[in-house]
Amino acid sequence: MPVFKAPFNGYSVKFSPFYESRLAVATAQNFGILGNGRIHVLELAPGAPGVTESVAYDTADAVYDVCWSESHDSVLVAAIGDGSVKIYDTALPAPSNPVRSFQEHAREVHSVDYNPTRRDSFLTASWDDTVKLWAFDRPASIRTFKEHAYCVYQAVWNPKHGDVFASASGDCTLRIWDVREPGSTMIIPAHDFEILSCDWNKYDDCILATSSVDKTIKVWDVRSYRVPLAVLNGHGYAVRKVKFSPHRRSLIASCSYDMTVCLWDYMVEDALVGRYDHHTEFAVGIDMSVLVEGLMASTGWDELVYVWQQGMDPRAS
Amino acid sequence: MEKATERQKILLRHLNPIPSSSSSSINHEPSLLSSVNCVAELSPMAAFGDDIVIVAAYRTAICKAKRGGFKDTRPDDLLASVLKAVVERTSLDPSEVGDIVVGTVIAPGSQRAMECRVAAYFAGFPDSVPIRTVNRQCSSGLQAVADIAASIRAGYYDIGIGAGVESMSTDHIPGGGFNSTNPRAQDFPGARDCLLPMGITSENVAERFGVTREEQDMAAVESHKRAAAAIASGKLKDEIVPVATKIVDPETKAEKAIVVSVDDGVRPNSNMADLAKLKTVFKPDGSTTAGNASQISDGAGAVLLMKRSLAMKKGLPILGVFRSFAVTGVDPAVMGVGPAYAIPAAAKLAGLNISDIDLFEINEAFASQYVYCCKKLELDMEKVNVNGGAIAFGHPLGATGARCVATLLNEMKRRGKDCRYGVISMCIGTGMGAAAVFERGDSADYLSNARVANGNGH
Repeated sequence: MPVFKAPFNGYSVKFSPFYESRLAVATAQNFGILGNGRIHVLELAPGAPGVTESVAYDTADAVYDVCWSESHDSVLVAAIGDGSVKIYDTALPAPSNPVRSFQEHAREVHSVDYNPTRRDSFLTASWDDTVKLWAFDRPASIRTFKEHAYCVYQAVWNPKHGDVFASASGDCTLRIWDVREPGSTMIIPAHDFEILSCDWNKYDDCILATSSVDKTIKVWDVRSYRVPLAVLNGHGYAVRKVKFSPHRRSLIASCSYDMTVCLWDYMVEDALVGRYDHHTEFAVGIDMSVLVEGLMASTGWDELVYVWQQGMDPRAS
Repeated sequence: MEKATERQKILLRHLNPIPSSSSSSINHEPSLLSSVNCVAELSPMAAFGDDIVIVAAYRTAICKAKRGGFKDTRPDDLLASVLKAVVERTSLDPSEVGDIVVGTVIAPGSQRAMECRVAAYFAGFPDSVPIRTVNRQCSSGLQAVADIAASIRAGYYDIGIGAGVESMSTDHIPGGGFNSTNPRAQDFPGARDCLLPMGITSENVAERFGVTREEQDMAAVESHKRAAAAIASGKLKDEIVPVATKIVDPETKAEKAIVVSVDDGVRPNSNMADLAKLKTVFKPDGSTTAGNASQISDGAGAVLLMKRSLAMKKGLPILGVFRSFAVTGVDPAVMGVGPAYAIPAAAKLAGLNISDIDLFEINEAFASQYVYCCKKLELDMEKVNVNGGAIAFGHPLGATGARCVATLLNEMKRRGKDCRYGVISMCIGTGMGAAAVFERGDSADYLSNARVANGNGH
């Protein structure tokens, strides 16, 4: 299975929505606490088990997240620890990159998500307690959503409704927003501890999952949000990222500080359907490919990026 | 650095969370850190302007009494060389020094105090700088440094020099123990034991606490080995002030000018077999020999102290910070156990555990008491007397405490940020122990003073 060793600690990995063999990796020096960052764009060699780096961009501070544009196949957006949001175009030569740098967030930007339906805007979530909405061609953010009382760790667009998104925050709430509304439309006190990640079900637009410092993943239906649909236990430490599969309606992937990547089927009684312990440090980034069914990638503080097919051993060569 | 600390806090909260009720507001509170004790621990002592810091510490070489390099060197000349060095090498105006305290043990009190005043003149100090001596037997050098630190803290003056000098070529230890003409001393067991020769107290410790001849000889071999390695590596050059003096041939009486800059008591080829051959000196069936006891020596040391704010104003490098000092009394018959009591006391005063101390200089008066104290405190021997001790170098009584400051702080500087706290300690004849805690010179770096996590979270 392809493995890539980055010079810095891995933070996030995202498959390109245009090319099935391309992915972007966000990395940061010294575990993202102090130092520089780097974004790698990797190509999976067809047939051969290797991963090659096609381009890398250095940043002055840690890169906490990266996402691909849904409108331009060579563009990616990066969330940087110094509060800036940078846009890179791999089709342009290195000196012209980054093509844009937006400095508005007062603190670290922890996640970035591109709108998959409207394809013209993206969200950033920051430790300054706000979520910001941006468009590619606007010099400043379009809107700032300021309601959370603590760090916002992730903001994710709804896969079906282009104006709806969810945000997960350290204030222990999950909030649903509609950009047409002035404030949040729903506040779910999903956990008793910080919520580090959330993601929408790709097949049912009312269902989402949250992952928390309390080591659980909870699946919620916004139509009956008082009680979760499912509580998934099994991780040994805080669950850093959660992601719904683009191919199977009830499959969830998660990665945790317990160094494992787990697969869950929340509709099944014994929900844990797979566990991968290939990382030797905190596993902090995962993604599932939209273009290739079953293809997953993960990255962690052990500076490694693994790409593998579900059911196979990520470390198999 | 602030940002880095903030990021660490946020990450640490993921691993060691504090439950919050939905009504409490979570702001970025620094008090969270008190519940998290992995990675960067907030120090119990931050760097404050009124910390007492050491800006210079120098010593002469230590030479064998009566036979070594300083056998014909007068004690005031010896002291003058280190007093001059601390002032010259920091480009300090000598008239700014508020007081000088000199630890000195065997010489007659007033005579030696006068000699110290003379030494100050030799070193270039003007009339206006006062000087005094202090005598707490073997700890006098350390006590001198502690006295200066206390006086600066009390506001008596801003700059002081704590020094020590002993010329055991000139002054002799009473061979069979102290003499007391007061017959009443015999009626008090403690008083009577004060008169015991030091060697007998060493035998008492060995017997009472089961320290074998072999353990003592091993400690002696290790001391010589480490000292020889330190000399060979050139490490000690940073702390030694070369002294230009004379040496007189005992037969021909011819004088020769020499420069003494190397400790001459160290025997690099010291080994168990040779030590085993030595006869015990104090008790026929005992274990203390000339090989596993400290040597009788000549030497001097001086330490320049001031407040941190003043050092920074003068642009002087901070070699170390004086953190705490403790003296405790113990049974005179086993005076050697002193450090086992004084070290925990000094550490506690500094707000530290013994496990927080990264480097120790424990005076090897006798291998028996040195081995016992290290065992009792469960010290990691890789952190104790790393460059050798008094068995190899010698123990010029009054100077030892002051010379240990130079040795300890220079070694801590070499070791870098991992070596934050150091302790100097010694036993004291007539039943006491003294210890002082020092901190390395640079200010604490939160990220680098990581300690091994003790299983609480990740």
